Amino acid sequence: MTPSLHRIAAALLLAGLFLVYGSPAQADDDKVVLVITADASDYVLAAGGTIAKILDDGVTGYLVRVTNDDKDSWELTPEETARRTREESEKAAKILGFKEVESLGYRAGELGGVSPTELRDRILFYVRLYKPNVMFIPNPYAEYVEVLDRFYVGQAAEDARRAASLSNYQPPFAVVGLETHVTPELYYYAQPFDPRRREPESTATFVPQPKIVDIASTFGKKLAAAQALKTINHSMAMRIKDRLETTGRRLPLLDEVDEVSVSKLVEINVRKLAEIAAQDTEHAQAEEFHYAGVEYQIPTKYLQ
Amino acid sequence: MIFRAIIALMLLPALPAMAELPVVDIPPGHTKTFLVIHPHHDDHSWVSGQAGLVTKLVDAGWTGYYVRVSNDEKDGPHGYPHDDMVNLFEAREATENLGIKDVISLNWRNDYMDPTPHNEIRAQLILLIRKYRPDLVTSYHPWGHYDRNPDHRKVAKAIGEGVWLAGFANVHPEHRKLGLKPHRVPYKFYSQRFDYGKGYEPNVVVELSESNIRRKARSFWVHRNVRLRGSTGRRMRQLLKDQGLAIPELDGLTDIEAHARMQEWSMYDAARKVGGEHGIEYGEIYAYLGEWHPWPGLRDHIDSNAVDK
Repeated sequence: MTPSLHRIAAALLLAGLFLVYGSPAQADDDKVVLVITADASDYVLAAGGTIAKILDDGVTGYLVRVTNDDKDSWELTPEETARRTREESEKAAKILGFKEVESLGYRAGELGGVSPTELRDRILFYVRLYKPNVMFIPNPYAEYVEVLDRFYVGQAAEDARRAASLSNYQPPFAVVGLETHVTPELYYYAQPFDPRRREPESTATFVPQPKIVDIASTFGKKLAAAQALKTINHSMAMRIKDRLETTGRRLPLLDEVDEVSVSKLVEINVRKLAEIAAQDTEHAQAEEFHYAGVEYQIPTKYLQ
Repeated sequence: MIFRAIIALMLLPALPAMAELPVVDIPPGHTKTFLVIHPHHDDHSWVSGQAGLVTKLVDAGWTGYYVRVSNDEKDGPHGYPHDDMVNLFEAREATENLGIKDVISLNWRNDYMDPTPHNEIRAQLILLIRKYRPDLVTSYHPWGHYDRNPDHRKVAKAIGEGVWLAGFANVHPEHRKLGLKPHRVPYKFYSQRFDYGKGYEPNVVVELSESNIRRKARSFWVHRNVRLRGSTGRRMRQLLKDQGLAIPELDGLTDIEAHARMQEWSMYDAARKVGGEHGIEYGEIYAYLGEWHPWPGLRDHIDSNAVDK
């Protein structure tokens, strides 16, 4: 193909993509962001600031929380843990600006026994229902994440995004009015466990690339949302205190584990996470993602 | 020495060079108990096994248990169930040589583990973690790529999650009926074949002594059912003879003893190669996850502010 034909092909491809994915001039209040999370805290800690920033611009946000978080507490039954965390996760989502939270209720830590197809189709339903412009999903390729629920949910959500665009997946959904939908922008999020998280996956053609977002303007919301997750935070504080005590140590901040000390611990955590993500950037507070947008659907040679 | 190097080169997989890693000592022990969890009888003592670290822990007064997840029925020349039994006996001998106190066999069917529910293997590991309350677990790397052995992948994944979930009281609450309390494993040393390419990123090297390597090398060939063949010893000696070479250290040994000696050399050379790349004599490399791994935003604060009680 000659260079001019390349340019024509690129223009046609771009035009086609914008037709499929929606106009770039679409008003923010018509836009929808869909966030998929395995548990109540992961998306807040890894992506809460960026999500709040998008929602602050008038975008409508929906959160799908896959597990019921029934394991993460200190001296509470699974039932009481699930009940409290559901309430607290809805409060956290409200702080960030979400319109609605859908809790799918799978038991935490047990997604290894759930069919990946079932999980994908549960998420696919919401993709076709809400027709998001942007999705945030756990990064299933992030390594050193011991919470495998995040891996299973990330994998299912990635698959759901693709399957939602193809009519031969879940034909009954079309019967009830859930048409196929392509989500043009995708953020993969993860807390900074993976030492290689900033490396590009490959050349920037079809694969997501690292993206760092300044969250200084919404850091306060992110912190407040994280602090709203009181049951999980208390569990974290008690597990750290327990480990230190059984090995003959103490953290002065946790001499008294109460609402004040736990909130402070959460603040230290959230500030440090934002600082880690901002390393080697001009930002003071940030979040790190792997990001796939419209431009990553176009082979580089057509963009030249 | 040159002959030994030739033999080692013939036996070793191609090990790529890597940047120098920090040398770490064994972590401070509280219970001073550790678990070595593997799918197979012989995973602890080979090029990518953790036997050097094991002997180091034992020398420091720690107590170790070997958890063998499969029944090893596929490994060996006899067919099953003969190989199951031989491999178990040899696993006991090899781990005893390292100073490990006991072998716990879960006996899942070797290389048929895909239909075994992940949560079920994990549940057994959580039970054992709560029973023994290890300060340290060592195994294959749960995030290692390109491992073609399905049992390695399956078991490593169950371990990667089990070490964390064992710390939550609401995970298998029935264990409380036995008096078993939650226990999160604070230190993890994961390793994997590092000649499988991109994907496995070790971050530390453990320094080993000649004594550590000696025990590892012996435990390697003690798995006679799969490691020793008189025919291999004979063939190697014939190969040298054809080129007008000989290894005096092999004189007077039977073919099978000669093969055992060569297998020992391969272990020494592998550990020496790793050590040489990281500025020490002998070493094993690991992906090490420390005490505060689950909370990356709190590690620095806890390390800087925790004080003795």
